[in-house]
Amino acid sequence: MPAHRGVLSLAVLLASACAHAARTPLAPAAGATPGCLMVPGSATRPPVITAALTDSVDPTHAAVPRNDAERLVFRHLYETLVRFDCEGRAVPALAESWTSSEGGRRWAFTLRADAQFWDGAPVTARDVVVGKGGVGYTLTPIDARVVGVWLARGSDDVPAFLADPALAVTKPAPGGDWPIGTGRYWVTGANTTSQEIRALSSAGDTLVFRQAAASDPRDLLDAGVDLLVTRDRPVLDYAATQPAFAVVELPWDRIYVLATVERPTMRLDGLEQAVRSEARRPQGGSFWWEELQACGPPPVAVPPAASPGALPPPPPPRRIAYVRGDPTGRDLAARIAALGGGVAAGLAPADFAKSLRAGTGAGYVLALPRAVPEPCRAARDLLPPWPVSVAPLVETRARAVVRRAVSRWGMDGDGTVHLAPQ
Amino acid sequence: MMFRTRLLAGFGVVVLVPLAVFGLGIRREMSGRLAAEYERRVGALAGVIRADVTRQSDGIAARLAALKGALAADNRFRVAAVQGGDRAYVLDYAGDAMRLAGLDYLQVLDDEGRVLSSGHFRNEYDRPAPIPPLSGPALVRGRTAEGPFLALVRADSLRLPGRRFVLVGGTRVDSLFLARLAPDPELAVSVVLPSDSVTPDSTGQIVAEVTLPYVESAEVPHAEPARIVVTHSESLLAALRSSVNLWFAVAVLVTALVAVLIAGWLSTRISRPVTQMEHRAALGDLARQVTHDIKNGLAPLRHVFRHLTQVAQGEPEKLPGVFAERQGTVDSSLGYLETLATNYARLYPQANERPTDVNAVVREALRHSAGADHAELRTELPDGLPPVRADALALRRVIENLLGNALDSLEGRPGTVTVATERAGAVVRLSVGDTGRGMTKSEIDRAFDDFYTTKAGGTGLGLSIVRRLVLDAGGALRVESEPGKGSKFIVELPAA
Repeated sequence: MPAHRGVLSLAVLLASACAHAARTPLAPAAGATPGCLMVPGSATRPPVITAALTDSVDPTHAAVPRNDAERLVFRHLYETLVRFDCEGRAVPALAESWTSSEGGRRWAFTLRADAQFWDGAPVTARDVVVGKGGVGYTLTPIDARVVGVWLARGSDDVPAFLADPALAVTKPAPGGDWPIGTGRYWVTGANTTSQEIRALSSAGDTLVFRQAAASDPRDLLDAGVDLLVTRDRPVLDYAATQPAFAVVELPWDRIYVLATVERPTMRLDGLEQAVRSEARRPQGGSFWWEELQACGPPPVAVPPAASPGALPPPPPPRRIAYVRGDPTGRDLAARIAALGGGVAAGLAPADFAKSLRAGTGAGYVLALPRAVPEPCRAARDLLPPWPVSVAPLVETRARAVVRRAVSRWGMDGDGTVHLAPQ
Repeated sequence: MMFRTRLLAGFGVVVLVPLAVFGLGIRREMSGRLAAEYERRVGALAGVIRADVTRQSDGIAARLAALKGALAADNRFRVAAVQGGDRAYVLDYAGDAMRLAGLDYLQVLDDEGRVLSSGHFRNEYDRPAPIPPLSGPALVRGRTAEGPFLALVRADSLRLPGRRFVLVGGTRVDSLFLARLAPDPELAVSVVLPSDSVTPDSTGQIVAEVTLPYVESAEVPHAEPARIVVTHSESLLAALRSSVNLWFAVAVLVTALVAVLIAGWLSTRISRPVTQMEHRAALGDLARQVTHDIKNGLAPLRHVFRHLTQVAQGEPEKLPGVFAERQGTVDSSLGYLETLATNYARLYPQANERPTDVNAVVREALRHSAGADHAELRTELPDGLPPVRADALALRRVIENLLGNALDSLEGRPGTVTVATERAGAVVRLSVGDTGRGMTKSEIDRAFDDFYTTKAGGTGLGLSIVRRLVLDAGGALRVESEPGKGSKFIVELPAA
């Protein structure tokens, strides 16, 4: 196939040349947006900064987070081409600049000159595009440092999906260790224990993520952590009494839904009273899971295989499942169980995912992101594989408890907290 | 029945029956005493449970009274519950209060019986809840998100401006609660609700109960009786019974084994003299028979020598002739005795059965018979009589015995003895009749018994031997007799 590969390269170069001919340079936002700094902090970063984690972190999930703790950790380890700040503006990440052409249908992102993996290998455009892609766009390497993004429909703004963590650049590490990323901080299994994750930077500073799942997060605040992202009301109430901390609202980023085979007959309004975290009724008229027509027909449910000659399985119990350790999910499942006469069942994350795939429960309380960069991928990753009725329950948001005058913390457009550049 | 069997049966009656009565008595006494003890313990535990429930009920009531006071004084709750607002505070109120009061069940109900705040299931608000009687403890079915549970509760009420609220609080009735009620592992405590379709199996158990009102749900507002059932398993009693049965069976087996051994030893020790007596008796019988047979053989010799003596004294010149004449008798008698001796030497005379001419044997016997002066011997021996299959010697002994008895029956008086033979179908009939004293019916019945005789000095074995010899030859023997007129013995032998 050398001839084909040559023709393809020529076509790419021609297209690139044409694109450059009509290129409209855009001015990326430089550094942190001042309005996205949560608390004014010291411009000089201390050598060790500590952040508390209220959920568990699984390295195998990298770089796509499943909870608030993974969002915080992965944000500092892995990079996408761009990010969006809290005001919705694209800011450089792995790409330092970008241009668009053909009415916003073709984009070219130039990689940062010093972009490299943790192991020192330079990041190439091929590293960015390999294995990546989605509905409505194509990623292609234009040259070693330029990544082309071709859209099915033109866009005046930088496409939001480019900040999708699923497009973060990683490569597998030997021995099943943390995937090797390109972020400012790096971490290995040697730096990871059940109590903390120590992320190191080439500049010599350390970001310590300390687990609070097994203890009272208030103890960590008293012990001197610099950041705690939580939805726990008593913790926030306690932090509000401490002058050393500032409590910052984060976006309404999570929506809880009830996933069932058939639309529930009970009234599901007023559930914000059922949860003890900050919650409100779902806002907005439509949700991303209602716009999946472009993703193709929904999958057909496959009932669990029964062995030949076996008795038919007993009717499934009216069990409303939630992820164990999620207090909001537990409260919602309990209220639904109280209304519908079933029982709430907390399942470990792996068991919950398995049960959700099999559809053995009467209903599932799912925590979904309020907005997703790519609905088709999100539906494939987050929703069950059977035809599902999704009923929105409540929206929630977290708050960041930030120690004042220690370091500067910024906030992305999706509510992800991160250390702001110095 | 053998002697040993009789000994064993007697031993069983004497030893095993009292042993069985003793074992059953112990078993019954033990069961009765243990059952009484169990009943006492079950009754005592039921009393303890009754007192414990009362104590717990009083403790719950005291805590509810304290909560009621705190609730009435809580302005935030008053504002939220009466005027509305601060909903989260009301929803969380019962949870915090329940934990502080050390309860497992706490609900604040409004005047419609709906949950205003639930401590054990926060999200049950606005749901109707069961209201137990205010007068005392009760059992209710509580709910949590994970499922239902049973609670021992008390209820209290308070009135805030314009509204009445009910507080229902209690403790969880679970396996731990029941285990605390029954510290003795042999005692079991369970709760039986009116809706339970299956009640605990009380078969083989000792039961006592404590009754409490039970409210199933808000849809069934009236209370029905529930029972706290105390049972004492009779497994220990059953085990004791089994143990007693086992050891009783062991005792019976050991006793039976000892009985068999003792009976065997005793029967051996006791039966040995009896056997010796029997042997001696048999030897005596044999000796009598031998004596009798020898006398029969010696009698002709005695007659011949008496005859020769008379001839030698009176007519000595005829002695050689008479001797020659009677030499056959002497030879015949000696041969008879030799044959007899040979047979006895073999202990049991083997019959030498062969076709035998009955008339010839009768003539031989008559020739050797001494006869009697007062007796007239007649014979009726027709020609052409078929032979019979018999031992000639045995047949001669039969005829000589019958002939001797017939002559003796004349008792010295003149009379006739008739020996006759005839053919009667397939048999040859031999009869020896006399005109002697005859026999009574009882004498006829015993005539063939061993050792029965009417003659002075008789052995009582003659007719017994005759009968045995006739039967050995396959024949039959009967007697016709009439007292004072004589007797007739009839022998029938099958023709050869």
